[in-house]
Amino acid sequence: MAAKSALTPGTAKALKHRKWGSGEIKRHIAFLTMLLPGCIFLFCFSYLPMPAIILAFKRYQLAKPPKDFWIQNKFIYSLFIQNEWVGLSNFKFIFNTPDAWTVIRNTIGYNLVFMALGLVLSVGLAIAVNELRNRFLAKFYHTVLFMPYFISWIIVAYVVYAFVSAKGVFNQWITAMGGTAIQFYSEPKYWPFIFVFCNIWKYTGNNSIIYLATLTGFDQQLYEAAAIDGAGKWRQITNITLPLLLPTIVLLQILAVGRIFNGDFDMFYSVPNGSGPLKSVSTTLDVYVYNTMKTGAQLGLAAAAGFFQSVVGFTLVLTTNLIVRRVSPDMAMF
Amino acid sequence: MTSKADIKVKVVKKNKDMNQLSAGANVVLNIIFILAVIIVVAPIWVIIMASITSESALLTYGYGFWPQEFSLRAYTFLFSKGSIIGTAYKNTIIATVAGTILCVCSVGLYAYPISRSDFRWRGLFTFISFFTMLFTAGTVPFFVTCRQILGIGNSIFALFLPLSFSAYWVIIMRTFYKSNVPDSIIESARIDGAGEWRTLLQIVLPLATPGLATVALFAAIGIWNNFFNCLLLVDEAKYYNLQFTIYQTLNSIRFLKEMASQVGSLAAQIADLPSETFRMAMAMVTMGPIILAYPFFQKYFVKGLTIGAVKG
Repeated sequence: MAAKSALTPGTAKALKHRKWGSGEIKRHIAFLTMLLPGCIFLFCFSYLPMPAIILAFKRYQLAKPPKDFWIQNKFIYSLFIQNEWVGLSNFKFIFNTPDAWTVIRNTIGYNLVFMALGLVLSVGLAIAVNELRNRFLAKFYHTVLFMPYFISWIIVAYVVYAFVSAKGVFNQWITAMGGTAIQFYSEPKYWPFIFVFCNIWKYTGNNSIIYLATLTGFDQQLYEAAAIDGAGKWRQITNITLPLLLPTIVLLQILAVGRIFNGDFDMFYSVPNGSGPLKSVSTTLDVYVYNTMKTGAQLGLAAAAGFFQSVVGFTLVLTTNLIVRRVSPDMAMF
Repeated sequence: MTSKADIKVKVVKKNKDMNQLSAGANVVLNIIFILAVIIVVAPIWVIIMASITSESALLTYGYGFWPQEFSLRAYTFLFSKGSIIGTAYKNTIIATVAGTILCVCSVGLYAYPISRSDFRWRGLFTFISFFTMLFTAGTVPFFVTCRQILGIGNSIFALFLPLSFSAYWVIIMRTFYKSNVPDSIIESARIDGAGEWRTLLQIVLPLATPGLATVALFAAIGIWNNFFNCLLLVDEAKYYNLQFTIYQTLNSIRFLKEMASQVGSLAAQIADLPSETFRMAMAMVTMGPIILAYPFFQKYFVKGLTIGAVKG
């Protein structure tokens, strides 16, 4: 939604620059100083780490630069000067471990489920909030359903603990009905459902905001005309609301595709509470990268796993966007 | 003229009423919403109830929707023995305040020039910011950069500096400026001889307050809730934030309990650990400020979000 409006022909026409003069230079100096703080943050935390991606192709070892060398930073010296290139051996090593495929399956599988369910529920929520007769109640519901977005994953881990631990709510119910208590923290089969539930619980309200904002802006006359022609609510939704909402949906899905290798680290790391038996269903790529890093293994291995998230994710966004542009140029992001 | 407008409004309103949801569907929808509200609120409710239950009742009866035995001991214990959570609280508040101020300033300033159609390089600077939403270097490069190059590892700066700018909010704010600050106002300020800084501070910012308030709220909550940066970049307990501290408590207890079932001698250690109710009280103290503030700030951000999010 961002880059597009900057490039549309309409705005390009409005770009009538004055001639460079002292006033114009002064104005632009003011503009540049406004941009400066943001640029510093962008540089430090977004662009400066980018060259370090080559860690994935290196055998990383911290070395001290010689005293008179022009780079005195240990890390920069080691990474760019000292460390040897190892080609794809870091990747080979990772893919030869049995975990690798489980991790990739988990990451992509969860993300696909989150995307599909999240899309249906958040669009549904936005439409439902918009259709409710009582505006006060609609606002109240939406306010409450938005709230989980502001609750940290650590608190969610506490909540999950309160429900599924030995003395948790679920086990109370199970024993009350005469069943035997379940040790949730050592039974992987329940956790995919718990993760999906947590994700939906936390994000649906927030995701629906952008759809709600978009669809309240639609021309009401369309609906009135449809109603006069005898279209019921359901037909209005399927024939007017959803088609008009499609560009927004596509845009958000393109962005989501780019994050398909990124999991919700906080959720997958904290909600299972570090329980060993759950590793097979709770380890996503983020968690894997972190664990590889923390076990003191070669940093290059963690970087190789992380490489997927950034480079393959980025490639996926570009590809998806390209396909969308072929099919329907208006809906492409850029 | 006015009467004609009135009639038009009336007609539109009547049509809208005609096109309302049928009463039956409305009831069904309301029931679904009430269920959803219960699903959202119940988990929080259980935590609140557990934190005000007496320890013995919680151990005997387990978690439930109503305290079997009411007790505020967990809270009195928490506040009397502040040191466990006190440092974490202090760090979190410092990081949240500093980070929020930095974020509002840097985002508010960055978004303004790229919202102006007469700024020559706005396309370039929009791209510089937007690109970081599509491509991020990843955890390992971020980790080594913060630790080895920027040197903010294991310090309080690690808790907020990386979170003090967000490309996403730049895009939202840019749209907000565009749709809320008419070009004519900026133009007239220029004719009156105001410089760009003066125009921004005295004319544009007052008009953009709802947008900036939204940025501030989301930044504050993002920093308050942040766990990953502390986990990744901080080693010493004196710099831990709240989320990390309570995560460690939850995690260590579960681990020790598992061990204790195998090794009997650990039982004594477990007795020293914060009790279940105490932990739930910690969780409450951590999310409390957000839950309490939520009803007050939500009306601002919905406005800020809906205006900023619509494609501009």
